[in-house]
Amino acid sequence: MTIAAVLTVLVTMAILGVVLVTDKNLKEGTTSLTNRVEVEVFVKGAPPQQSSIDALRAKIAAIPEVKSFTYVSQSQALADLKTMLGKNADQILQNLQSNPLPASYKIFVKNPNQVDQVAAHFFNDPNVDNDPGTTDGVSYAKQTVRNLLGTVNLIEKAMWVVTVLFALAAVLLTSTTVRLSIFARRREVEIMQLVGATNWFIRWPFILEGFITGLVGSFVAALAVWGANVLVFNWIHGSKLDFLRPIKYPLIAQSGSWPLGLIPTLVLAGAVLGALGSALALRRYLRV
Amino acid sequence: MIVFENVSKMYDQNVPGMMDASFHIEKGEFVFLVGPSGSGKSTLIKLVLKQLEPTDGRILVAGRNLQTLRRSKVPLLRRNIGCVFQDFKLLPNKTVYENVAYALEVVGEHRRSIRRKVPEILNLVGLSDKTNSLPHEVSGGEQQRVSVARAFVNHPPLLLADEPTGNIDPETSIGIMQLLLRINRTGTTVVIATHDREMVDRMRRRVIALDGGRLVRDERRGVYDSET
Repeated sequence: MTIAAVLTVLVTMAILGVVLVTDKNLKEGTTSLTNRVEVEVFVKGAPPQQSSIDALRAKIAAIPEVKSFTYVSQSQALADLKTMLGKNADQILQNLQSNPLPASYKIFVKNPNQVDQVAAHFFNDPNVDNDPGTTDGVSYAKQTVRNLLGTVNLIEKAMWVVTVLFALAAVLLTSTTVRLSIFARRREVEIMQLVGATNWFIRWPFILEGFITGLVGSFVAALAVWGANVLVFNWIHGSKLDFLRPIKYPLIAQSGSWPLGLIPTLVLAGAVLGALGSALALRRYLRV
Repeated sequence: MIVFENVSKMYDQNVPGMMDASFHIEKGEFVFLVGPSGSGKSTLIKLVLKQLEPTDGRILVAGRNLQTLRRSKVPLLRRNIGCVFQDFKLLPNKTVYENVAYALEVVGEHRRSIRRKVPEILNLVGLSDKTNSLPHEVSGGEQQRVSVARAFVNHPPLLLADEPTGNIDPETSIGIMQLLLRINRTGTTVVIATHDREMVDRMRRRVIALDGGRLVRDERRGVYDSET
């Protein structure tokens, strides 16, 4: 087949690849963000009673929506605060007579949508630090979670639409190019028919050719997309620009195995596209 | 071998390609189809190959009724008909050898017998030294001999030639005609549509003359023009 067909497959597959990579990055990013949604339940009393600690542990463990949880003791909470405050911590905290921070359970839910439900379990619990005028006793970012989930949903829907559109564009462009290159050879098809070749005897070489065209084009495209992904990843990772910091985490999360999965996917899609395009384009000329 | 019974073929807008034609061509005959351009010679050949369907009438080829022949069986019909065309119709990116071999591959011949038969037939048409040339690298007469070789390599019972000498010089034409005659002597029925008056007059074979889609003359040992 023609170089034009290979190039068309290459370009469309590269565009589709970039869309898929972007989609994957956004997904990784949003899941890593939603995974960090947590509910924090503060244990009553400073220091807390062992019975309260045990009762809450049993209660949390019994809630089916809970993915995991950790106990943060009073001293652990103070240590966390110290690291958060940094080098000035000792100066700020030197006047504390006792540890005023309550012990707490940090709860991670299986699905961020269930954060309300899980939190509701503790609203009137006697073991929870629910004194009026102090903290709420149960802390979770209600509105933030809602906003986050709404945005994630919107992004996922938008990316789905974009992916479908580009996949469609790839199919149409490739099949048009393949059809053109077969149109240029319709006389050959006619000759083969006159010599008495059956339709399948004529079809197979063309389909094989389309398959190889798609294979070559999409393989180069997949390599290019993969290379670009690595470059961008390295650039963001090594960058000192502050505004890039929020996306560092998701990129790190996905830098491992999945781009390797993208290469066979793209290559296979391209090859199937080429073969299918050939078969469809031939239909017109194979009518006896 | 070929039977036409009241065959008509109307093209779009009522242009007649063939009007009520009836004739028999027996096994082993050597027949010229003559007539001016547009008289229906090519239509007749296309009808025999089932490239076209008649509007009316019945066509039998080798005892098979083309009207009831299933589409999937058309390739089988064509394998029994060798074809030679004015424009040769060779596959442009296959070599002389591969073009002839293709007709055998289509039938599912064993590679071993292809390797035996192709050089044999290329030798017969005098192209042993052009085996690996591409069609555009050899002369028109040579291309036509390749196409004759391809048409005959299967030893089909019927060979159709549509203006086989239309694109080549008179001297080479004689060679092609002699080749077709030799093929006829092996028992193959040969039908040649032609403009070549001199050739037809010299050979004195059966002549079927067409004009405007009508069969106007059918003579046993005819010439190009009517002798009356």
